[in-house]
Amino acid sequence: MSQKQDAGDSLYRKDPKVYPRDVQGRFARLRTLAVLVLLGLYYILPWIDFNGHQSVLFDLPARKFYIFSLTFWPQDFIFLALMLIIAGLSLFFVTAVAGRLWCGYACPQTVWTEVFLWIERLVEGDRPKRIKLDASPWNVNKVLRKTTKQILWISFALWTGFTFVGFFTPIRELGHSVMTLQTGAWETFWLLFYSFATYGNAGILREQVCKYMCPYARFQSAMFDKDTLVIAYDEARGEPRGGRRKTDDPAEKGLGDCIGCTLCVQVCPTGIDIREGLQIECIACAACIDVCDQVMDKMDYKRGLISYTTEHKLSGAKSQVLRPRIFVYLVLLLVLITGVLWSVNNRVLLRADLLRDRNALYRELPGDLVENVYTLKLINMDFKAHNYKIEVVDNKDYVLFVSPELQLESEEVGNFILRVQAPASAGRGSQKIDVRLTTLEEPIIERIVSTRFLLPFK
Amino acid sequence: MEHPVNRRWSMRQRDWAVVLWIAFLAAAAGSFVLFGLVNPLDMFGQWVDEYDIGVRLAYGLVFAFLYLLCLLASALTMFMVRTGPARGHVRGKGGRAIPKVKDPSRSNPDLDGENWQ
Ligand code: SF4
Ligand code: SF4
Repeated sequence: MSQKQDAGDSLYRKDPKVYPRDVQGRFARLRTLAVLVLLGLYYILPWIDFNGHQSVLFDLPARKFYIFSLTFWPQDFIFLALMLIIAGLSLFFVTAVAGRLWCGYACPQTVWTEVFLWIERLVEGDRPKRIKLDASPWNVNKVLRKTTKQILWISFALWTGFTFVGFFTPIRELGHSVMTLQTGAWETFWLLFYSFATYGNAGILREQVCKYMCPYARFQSAMFDKDTLVIAYDEARGEPRGGRRKTDDPAEKGLGDCIGCTLCVQVCPTGIDIREGLQIECIACAACIDVCDQVMDKMDYKRGLISYTTEHKLSGAKSQVLRPRIFVYLVLLLVLITGVLWSVNNRVLLRADLLRDRNALYRELPGDLVENVYTLKLINMDFKAHNYKIEVVDNKDYVLFVSPELQLESEEVGNFILRVQAPASAGRGSQKIDVRLTTLEEPIIERIVSTRFLLPFK
Repeated sequence: MEHPVNRRWSMRQRDWAVVLWIAFLAAAAGSFVLFGLVNPLDMFGQWVDEYDIGVRLAYGLVFAFLYLLCLLASALTMFMVRTGPARGHVRGKGGRAIPKVKDPSRSNPDLDGENWQ
C-alpha cells in the first residue's frame, strides 16, 4: 500500500492501491460466465475455420474482412461503419435501461482484469494475504510469489497479444512463425504492443482506467435518469450502522441493518464505499451486492441492503422501465439493424468499375465506326467462380469486345480491357451508356455501370 | 466595493482557444509530414481527376480532415481532465476521504475474521 499518504496539506495525494477481496455469489457467477464466454470467443474463434477460411479474419494486405459467411471488401466500408453505429447505439440503449452493465460484465478492461486478479489470487492469496505480502520485507517467499505471478501474467499477456495478431494474419501461419522465431516486423510489433497494453491495463492500471481514462464512464451519466438501474445502498434501512452480535435486536440498540463490516468496501474493485451514495467511480460490478447479501444471510436479515435499484425506487416513487427515450433508442436500433441486415442480404456480389482510357478520347475506324477504350475492373465477391456476359442496356448499336475472357475465380479481382464500338451516326459528342454485366450461371448476379461514350461532333 | 472591470476570457473560452490552437498545430504538422512523403495526386489521382477538385483543394480537404480528428482528440482530452472523480480524493469541495476498512469480525464477533464466510 502506498505509505506516503500525506496529511492533507497538498491538494492531491496518491490513490491507495486497491486489493479487491474475492467474492462469490449470483453476480460473481454471472461475471465469471461472461468472462468465460467472451474470452473463450476471443481465444478460440481464430482457430475455427469457416467456408475454407479463418472464421474471423481481417486480411489487411488483401483488404478483405471475413466474418463467418460474410466477406467485406473495402467498398463495403459503409457496413462496418453502420455496425459500429449500431454497437454504439446498443450501448446507449443498455445504459439507459440498465446502467453500466457493460462495465461490470462485458468491457474488455473488466474481463481481462478479472483474469489477472484470478492469477494474482492464485499465487498471492486473497486480499489480507496480498496486503501483508506487499508490506513485508523482501524474502524468498515474496520473491518467489512475485516472480511466479509476473511469469504467469506475462505469459497470459503474450498469448493475448498473439491471438490479437491472429485476427489479422492467419493464426496457424502466425503460430508457426512464432515457434520458429520468424515473425515479420509488424507482427512482432503488434504482438508485443497488444501484450504490453493487456499487461498494463489489466495488471497495473486496473480501476484507474475506469476512473480517469474511460470516456464512456465519463459520458454515461448523461444517459442516466432517475429510472436507470443503478447499484445503491439503502440508506434508510442501513443507518445508523454499527457492530453487533447476531442475537442483538438492532431496534433496541438503535441501529439500522448495516453492521459496519466494511466488506462492501473491501470487495470493491474501484476502492469506493457504496454507502456514500452513487459515485461516478462505481462500475456496477455488483460485488458489493453479493458480499452484503451474504452478510445479511449470516445475520438472518433480509437481503438487498445493497441492490440493483433505481433512484425513483429508492425515494419511494414508482419506477418506470418504458420511457420515451427508451422507445427512441429502440426504434432507431431496430431500423438500423433491419436496414443493415437487409442491405447485407441484398448485396450484389459483383463489383464493377469502368474507367475511360485517359490517353485517347475516341478512335475512328474504317466503316464509319467509332471506338472508345475503357479499363474494366471487376470484383467477384461470391464464393463461386463465374463467367460473365456484358452488353449495353437497351441499345443494339454498341458492340463490345473484352479481353481477356470475362472469367473470375471465387473472390477474384480482375482487370479487363473493354473496347466499345458504335456507328458514328449513334449521336454527337458525349453519350451516356449503361453497361450491364450478368453471370452466365444461376442464380443470376447482375450489375449495371454507367459511363460516357464519346463521338465526334461533326 | 467592487469596480466594474473589463474581463478577459472566461476559463471555458480559454480552454476552447487552447483546444482549437493545439489541434491546428498538430494538423498542420501532420499535413506537412504527410505531403512531404506522398503526392496527393498519387494518393487519389482518380478522385482528383474524376471530380476535378484540383490539387489545392485536395490539400485543403486532407488538412480539414486531420484538423477535425485532432480537434476531437484535443477536445476530448480537455473534457476528460476537467471532469471526473477528484483525483486521489482531493480534499475540499466534492472530495471524499479514502474509505476506511477494518476486519469484519472486529465489531461483529459472529463474522469470523478472514474466512468469515
Ligand atoms: S457489506 Fe453490507 S453490512 Fe457490511 S458494511 Fe457494507 S453495507 Fe454494511
Ligand atoms: S461500489 Fe459495488 S458495484 Fe460499484 S464498483 Fe464497487 S463493488 Fe462494484
